[in-house]
Amino acid sequence: MAVLQFSFPPVAGNTRRRHQICASADRQALFSRIAPVYDNLNDVFSLGQHRIWKRMAVSWSGAKEGSNVLDLCCGSGDLAFLLSEKVGLHGQVIGLDFSREQLMVASSRQRSRSKACYRNLKWVEGDAVDLPFPDCHFDAITMGYGLRNVIDKYKAMKEVRRVLKQGSKASILDFNKSTDGFRTSFQGLIIDNLIVPVAAGYGLSEEYQYLKRSIQEFLTGEELEHLALEAGFSSAKHFEVGGGLMGNLVATR
Amino acid sequence: MVRANRVVEISKTLSEILVCPLSKQPLRVCEKSNSLISDAIGVSFPIVDGIPCLVPKDGKIIEAEVSRDGDSANTKRRYHQDGTGGS
Repeated sequence: MAVLQFSFPPVAGNTRRRHQICASADRQALFSRIAPVYDNLNDVFSLGQHRIWKRMAVSWSGAKEGSNVLDLCCGSGDLAFLLSEKVGLHGQVIGLDFSREQLMVASSRQRSRSKACYRNLKWVEGDAVDLPFPDCHFDAITMGYGLRNVIDKYKAMKEVRRVLKQGSKASILDFNKSTDGFRTSFQGLIIDNLIVPVAAGYGLSEEYQYLKRSIQEFLTGEELEHLALEAGFSSAKHFEVGGGLMGNLVATR
Repeated sequence: MVRANRVVEISKTLSEILVCPLSKQPLRVCEKSNSLISDAIGVSFPIVDGIPCLVPKDGKIIEAEVSRDGDSANTKRRYHQDGTGGS
């Protein structure tokens, strides 16, 4: 496999790295460290495919013109911007994340874009397991590459259900923890031989090594469906996308 | 309304939606401290560059005296500069 040569300045920040990134505060710090380069690396690692998967996630959420929607673990805002275009000026989008640095990037991107519809988009710093919204408030919820990083996934799913209107959907996109041995090995190869070396060019190899562990510790599609039903959703279906490397859970309240 | 300082206020729409992340009770905007107050649990959450910070650990327990002062005229809803105005 050809080695991709990249030359980038290392990301400034705390030089102490924890070996096991397990506590919520550690994960928050991790995403804050990668915030400056997160968007660029997503494009590099997925060869731009993440944009397609995110459009699919928005479509599955059922968000439409005039909808009131929430993007959880919004990061730098990719899904939130797509939702903003979808719901238009008569709708509203809130992007919530626990990393202030990621929200600063999102807010900066919003200011630099000229589309009028982005006026419907607001940012909130918050925790997916303690949502600052009333019951039955949103017409649709999306979460992209966030649930895998939440320590208490059951509590997060309970909160997602609580703030959704009856009959509305949550569309949750993430890496697929496959039960297929070949796919799992292929995923691991990509991470070890492409993602981590490229991230190392930014001084972020440990942060992206976390990615492999987090997928190993994640739930399979079937387990995610079960989790959603346990959390009180009336139905849940997991779809594999991206050749099975990614998955999208669609849960209906 | 033009303000001389750098405090960036949150929008009226947002301030009406948000609730305390712990008690799920309504929040009120405190102009004096540029924060959102949860009277239910006596905690204030900061607003930084117009972004409300509602991670539970961001909350600060407020003293009873400050809480009473917060009920004075200084505690009013502030609206973003969107042309609709407010007091």
